[in-house]
Amino acid sequence: MESYSVSLIVSLILVPAFAAVGMLLAKRDGVRDALCIGFAVAIGALSVLFSAHMLGQGSVFFSLPISWSGFLSAAALIIDLAVAAFIICYAVKYKRWLALAMAVVQLVLLVIIEGTTGSGHTFSSQMHVDGLSIIMVLVIGIIGSGICVYALGYMKDFQNHHPDQPDRRPWFFALMFVFLSAMFNLVLADNLNWIYTAWEVTTLCSFLLIGFSKTQEAINNAFRQIVMNMLGGIAFQIAIMLTLAYGQPALLSDFVTSAASGLLVLGLPVALLAFAAMTKAAQMPFHTWLLGAMVAPTPTSALLHSSTMVKAGVYLLIRLAPAFLAFPFAQWMVIIIGGVTFLAASLLAISQTNAKRVLAYSTIANLGLITACAGVGTPEALWAGIFLLIFHAVAKSLLFLCVGTAEHHIGSRDIEDMDLLFERMPKLARLMMLGMLCMFIAPFGMLLAKWAALVSFVETSNFLLLGLLLFGSAATFLFWAKWMGKIAGIAQDQESIEGTVHRSEWVSLNLMAVLICACCILMPFMSMSIVDPFLKGVYVIASAPLTFGDMRLMAVLVVFVVLVLFGVVGFNKSPKAAPYLSGATLDASSRVFKNSFSKPTQATLRNLYLEDMFGEKVLDKPVTIVAALIMVVGIAGSFLAPGMFDPQTIAGSLEANAISVPRLCAGLIAFGLLGPIAGCLLAGIDRKLSARMQGRVGPPLLQPYYDVRKLLSKRHTSVNHADTVYVFSSLIFVWIAGGVFFAGGNFLLCVFLVTIAALFFILAAYSARSPYAQVGADRETLQVMAYEPAVLLCAIAMFGVAGTFNLFELLEAEAPLVIAGLPAFVALMFVLTIKLRKSPFDLSYSHHAHQELVKGVTTEMSGPTLAMVEITHWMESVLFLGWVGMFFLWSNPASIAVAVLAAIAAFVLEIFIDNNFARVKWQSCLRWSWGLTLACAVAMFVIIAIL
Amino acid sequence: MAFASKSPWVIHYDASSCNGCDIEVLAALTPKYDAERFGVINTGNPKHADIFLVTGSVNERNISVVKEIYDQMVEPKVVVACGACACSGGIFHDCYNVLGGVDKAIPVDVYAPGCACRPETIIDAVVQAVGILDQKSQAMKKGGSR
Repeated sequence: MESYSVSLIVSLILVPAFAAVGMLLAKRDGVRDALCIGFAVAIGALSVLFSAHMLGQGSVFFSLPISWSGFLSAAALIIDLAVAAFIICYAVKYKRWLALAMAVVQLVLLVIIEGTTGSGHTFSSQMHVDGLSIIMVLVIGIIGSGICVYALGYMKDFQNHHPDQPDRRPWFFALMFVFLSAMFNLVLADNLNWIYTAWEVTTLCSFLLIGFSKTQEAINNAFRQIVMNMLGGIAFQIAIMLTLAYGQPALLSDFVTSAASGLLVLGLPVALLAFAAMTKAAQMPFHTWLLGAMVAPTPTSALLHSSTMVKAGVYLLIRLAPAFLAFPFAQWMVIIIGGVTFLAASLLAISQTNAKRVLAYSTIANLGLITACAGVGTPEALWAGIFLLIFHAVAKSLLFLCVGTAEHHIGSRDIEDMDLLFERMPKLARLMMLGMLCMFIAPFGMLLAKWAALVSFVETSNFLLLGLLLFGSAATFLFWAKWMGKIAGIAQDQESIEGTVHRSEWVSLNLMAVLICACCILMPFMSMSIVDPFLKGVYVIASAPLTFGDMRLMAVLVVFVVLVLFGVVGFNKSPKAAPYLSGATLDASSRVFKNSFSKPTQATLRNLYLEDMFGEKVLDKPVTIVAALIMVVGIAGSFLAPGMFDPQTIAGSLEANAISVPRLCAGLIAFGLLGPIAGCLLAGIDRKLSARMQGRVGPPLLQPYYDVRKLLSKRHTSVNHADTVYVFSSLIFVWIAGGVFFAGGNFLLCVFLVTIAALFFILAAYSARSPYAQVGADRETLQVMAYEPAVLLCAIAMFGVAGTFNLFELLEAEAPLVIAGLPAFVALMFVLTIKLRKSPFDLSYSHHAHQELVKGVTTEMSGPTLAMVEITHWMESVLFLGWVGMFFLWSNPASIAVAVLAAIAAFVLEIFIDNNFARVKWQSCLRWSWGLTLACAVAMFVIIAIL
Repeated sequence: MAFASKSPWVIHYDASSCNGCDIEVLAALTPKYDAERFGVINTGNPKHADIFLVTGSVNERNISVVKEIYDQMVEPKVVVACGACACSGGIFHDCYNVLGGVDKAIPVDVYAPGCACRPETIIDAVVQAVGILDQKSQAMKKGGSR
C-alpha cells in the first residue's frame, strides 16, 4: 500500500518533468498538441488518483528508500546550483548588478547550508501528505494542466500576432511543465531544503516566463520579479540555517510543531519563512512583481495566479499558521500585511482599466485575505483561508483564460473595449461573468469563504482586520460590478466573432467553469471530507464556521444563478425597443443621436475609475511605505523579543446553528405573501405622508398597488429582454433574503443575498446600454459600495454583543441590541436613507418628479418589468425596516411590538428627511457614509472590546 | 376593473411652446391643484408614461422628436394636446416653419384649449384621457395582443 502511495508521489513529480523534456523535443504543432494533451490528461488523472487514494488517510508521512538519499541530496544541490547559474548568467547578460549580487549571496548561503548538513546521510526524503497537500495537488494537477492545454491554442495565436519573434514555443511549454513539477514537489515534500529547491525553481520558471517575449518591458519586469523573490529566497535560506544551527531538524512538520509549542529560538525563522512566503504571495510592498508579470503571455498569468507561484506562498503560510499563534510579532506582521494588502489592492483595482491589472490586483487582494486568515491561525480562519485558496484558483484561472481569448479576438485587454462582449462572444462573456460572480458574490464560493473569514475575525475579536475587511469588500463589489456591467451590454446588432476560438481553449474554459460549479455545489462535502479532517489533524478541535444548512442553501442558489446565466439571459430574440436618447435617435444600436446642430453625435460612456480617489498615484506610495515598515518591525521584533507578548490561545469555537428547512420555507411563504402587501402599504403611506408634508392631499393609500396593476397590464416591451430576467432574479433574491430574515435566520446571509439582488438589478440597467440607465447603474454601484460597510458593521455588532448572527437567538438576549450596539445602529440609520432611495441619497433613481437622469437605473424598464422593480422595492423596504427592528429585540415577548414601532418610527423619520433635503453629489454620499461608518466602527469595536 | 385610469403617468414635452402652457402644466402638479390626487405622476420618461402631454406646435425640427417619444411609449397610451398651439398651431399657425398642431405628427386623443391652457383644463383633459386609456386598455385585452 505504502509503496503504491510512494510511486504515485514520485510519478506526480516526474511525469511533468518528463513532459517538459518531451515539449522541448516536439518541434511540430501536431506532435506538440498530442504530447501536451496526453501529458496534461495524465497529470490530471494522476492527481485525481492520488487524491482518491490518500483521502481519508489523515496526515501521513512517507520516506523514499534510504538508499536514494545520497542521490536526492546531490540532485537538490545540482538543481540549486543550476538555478543560481541561470540567474547569474542572465544577470550578467543584461547587466543587472543587484540581481547578480543577490544570486551570489544565495550561492554563498547555499554553500554554508550544505556545509552544515554535510553529505547526503542526513538528507531526509520524507514526504508529508494531508488534506492541504491533497487540495494543492488537485489544484495544481487539474487547473495547472488545464492551463497547459489552453496554452496550445493561445500560443498559436500569439505566434501569429508576433511574427517577428522566433518560435520558442517548445521552451515555453517545457517551462510550464517544469513549473508544475516543482509545485508538486513543493507541496508534497517535508524536507525544508527540498522545499527550498522547488521554491527557487518556481521563482526561476516565472522569471523566464515573464521575460518570455524579451521586450525591454518584459525583461525589466522579469528582473523585478526575481529580485523580490530572491529576497524571499534569502530569507528562506537564513531560516533554514538558523533552524539547523539551533539543532532543530529541517523538516517542515517538525519545525511547525516545535514552533507552535513556543520554542523561542524559532521566532525569527518563523518570521523569515513568513516573509519569504509573503514575497512569493505578492503581498505589499512586494506586489509590484505580480503586476509586472502581466507582460507575459496570458497562460503564464493564469498559471502564476491560480495554481502555482503565488499559491506556493499562501500554502507555506497556511502550513505555518499554528506556529504564528505562538509568536505574536510574526503573527501580527502577517495579519496586518494581509489585511492592508486586501484593502489597498481592492481600492487600487477600482482605478484600473487594463483587465489583466484588475485581475492582478484582485489576486493580490485575495491573497492578502488568505494571508490574514493564516495569520489569525484559528481553525475557522484556516478553513476560510483554504476555501479562499480553492475558489480563487478556479475562478481566477477561468478569468485569465477568458481575458486571454477575448484579447486575441477583440485586440485589446482594456475593459472599455470589452463593451458588447455579451453579443460578440456570447459564450465567452457568460463564462467570464460566471468567473466574476464566483469572485465576489454570494452564493458563490469566494464569498462564502469571505463570510467564514469574517466569522473567524469576529470570534477572535480582531478588530483591525474587521475594519479592513468591511471597506475592502465594499470596494471589491464596485470594481467587479462595473466590469460585469460593461460586458453585459446588449446592442442588438452585433455579430458573434467567437467562431475562431480554438477548441483546446474551449475545453479548458469549460473545464474551469465546470470546476467552479462543482466546487460551489460540493462545498459542504469538501468541507466535511477534506478540510475538516485536515484541521482536526492540526488543531484537534475544529469546526466549520459555516453550517451545513447554509452551505446547502447556497448550493441551490448557485444552480439557480447558473441556469439563469447560461439558459435564459439573452436568448429571447423577439423584437426589441431602442434605448431612450431623448427623442433624437439616429442610430439606436450605436447610441448615435442628432445634436443641436443636426449633426450626429455618439453617446459614449466610460466606467467609473475614480483615479483621483483610489489611483496608483494616490495610494501606492503610502501603502508601500506602511507595509515595508510593518515588515521591518515584525522581523526585528521576532529577532529581538520573540517572547515579549503572550501567545494567543484558541478559545473553543462556538457551534453555529442554522434554521431548519421547514422554518425557512415558512419564512419564505410568509414573506412572499405578506412582504409585498406590507411593502405596498408602506409605499402608500410614504406617498400620502409626503403629500401632507408638502401641504397636498395626495393619492389614495392604495395608489402604489394601482400603479403596479397598471404596469402589469401594459404591453411587454424591452430593449433586450435580458433586463426582465435580471430584474426577476433580483426579485427572487430579495424574496429569499427576506424569507431567511423573517424566519429568524442568519443576518449575514440575508445581507449577502440582498447584495446579489442589487447586483442583478444593476446588471439589468447596464445590459440596456442606455446612457441614462448606465449613469444610474454606475451610481447604484457606488451606493452599494457606500452602504455595504455599515450593514456589515451591524452584523459584527450583533455577533460582538449577542454572540450570534441568528435572529431567533436575539429573542433570548437580555437587552436589546440597540443599547450596546448603538454605534452600529447609527450607521445603519444613516445608510437606510440610501437603501430606501430617499433624498439626499436618491442618486440612482427616485420617486421625485423632474430629475436630470430621466429615471436613472429604471430608464429602460417599462410595463411588467417596472412592476417587478416596484414589487422588489416594496419587499426591500419591509426587509430594511426589519433590520431596524432587529435592534430592538430581546427576550421580552413585547419586544416584537417595540421593534415594529421602532421600524415605523424610522420609516417616518426617513420620509421626513426625504422631504427636507436636496440631493447631494455621489462623492459626498460615498465620503459621508464611509466616514460615519468608520467612526461608528471604531466606537463599536471599543464597546465590544470592553464587553 | 381597469387600472390604467387609476394611475395615469404623464410625460410632458415642449414642442415649440412659448412656455406659457409649460408653466401651467407644472402648476397642475403643485399643492394647489395636486394632480397626484388622481395618481398623476410626471415621469419624464416615455417608457414609463401613459399620457403624452404636448405643448406648443409641431415644426420641421421637432416633428421627429415628437414621433419618437410617442413611439417609445408603451401601449396603451394617449396623447393630450395642451394649449392652442398644440391643438392647431395657434397664433404661430402660419409661421414659415410651423407644420401645425400636434395631430400633424401623431394621433391626438384629447385637445385642451386655451392660451395658455389653465391647470383646471389640463386636469380635465387628463381625466378625459384616462377614460380613453381605459377603453384602449380593454381593447388591448380583448385583442389579446399582449
